[in-house]
Amino acid sequence: MIIVELALHFAVLSLISFGGMPAVMPEMQRLVVDVKGWTTPAEFIQLFAIAQAAPGPNVLVVSLIGWKAAGLAGALVALLAVCFPAAVLSWCVADLWERFKESPWRIAIQRAIAPLVVGLIFSGGYVLCTPETTPDWRLWTIAGATIAVSLMTRLNPLWLLAGGGALGAFLL
Amino acid sequence: MQVTPPQTLLELFTGFLAIGARSFGGVMPWAHRTMVEERRWITPADFAETVGLCQFLPGPNIGNASIVLGKRWFGLSGAIVAFLGLMALPFVWVMALGVLYLEWASHPVVRAVVMGVGATGAGLFMATAIKLGRALVRKPAAVALMAACFLAVGIGRFPLLIVMPVTAMIGIFCARRGWL
Repeated sequence: MIIVELALHFAVLSLISFGGMPAVMPEMQRLVVDVKGWTTPAEFIQLFAIAQAAPGPNVLVVSLIGWKAAGLAGALVALLAVCFPAAVLSWCVADLWERFKESPWRIAIQRAIAPLVVGLIFSGGYVLCTPETTPDWRLWTIAGATIAVSLMTRLNPLWLLAGGGALGAFLL
Repeated sequence: MQVTPPQTLLELFTGFLAIGARSFGGVMPWAHRTMVEERRWITPADFAETVGLCQFLPGPNIGNASIVLGKRWFGLSGAIVAFLGLMALPFVWVMALGVLYLEWASHPVVRAVVMGVGATGAGLFMATAIKLGRALVRKPAAVALMAACFLAVGIGRFPLLIVMPVTAMIGIFCARRGWL
């Protein structure tokens, strides 16, 4: 049952997604492409691209993956599975948060997680540009240009996505 | 600044619907605009504090924010209504785009454009990581942890379920020693 597998895997992903969806992109790619084979590496980037171009939270890429794996039911199940465990946790922690504001443990955990999130988000970008075992220089050219522009200007990311699409038509 | 929380569930729903509907290129700026500037549901400081909490928790940040704020204003029904309002339109749009793409996926130019958009999205991730990482480069322990995560997950392709607990424990140990 692919639906059950989707629900279980994405629910686990939900609970370890510190740093939000970008931080679990490499794990999602590993799971969906390498372990389960629900999409090819190229399809994975394409679904990610569609979710980036559409308005809304970037978590919606999971409903495209679910849809590809198991149709409309898969889309709904994947989205709910990736949101629900984290939502329950937020529900429970919301009131405690204020009380532990000055707690040394809260501060330690916050500081511990920051470098992990940076490493994971960078991995997400790296993995997407490296669909096969060797990096794809055309994807890296576009990604490299995006990094440069994004660090040097404050352009809305939508312009960058449009530019990247145009560059893709030219290069790929 | 005078703020008034939403008075009815319908108001809460339409507010989150407005956030989801307009959130091209990132949701948080639109959440701020809708809830702080337009509807004046929440003060800027309160908004920042809530977002901070949701960034700290696992899960989609804005999804968590809809749960936390919905709960604060209307309890369980508020959390559900805010979450559904947020996700409803983006879900429809992303699925519609997906279906449309499937129709055209065999066309080489369409495929190339979409791959280009994907590579740009990947670049945006790496740029975000670089921006966040710049604040940490002066601390050797933080640099080691960033590199370890990248090597283990990006290059080594180890499961996050193993890497996360191990690096988190090392990180907490370092933080308690004052190295982070």
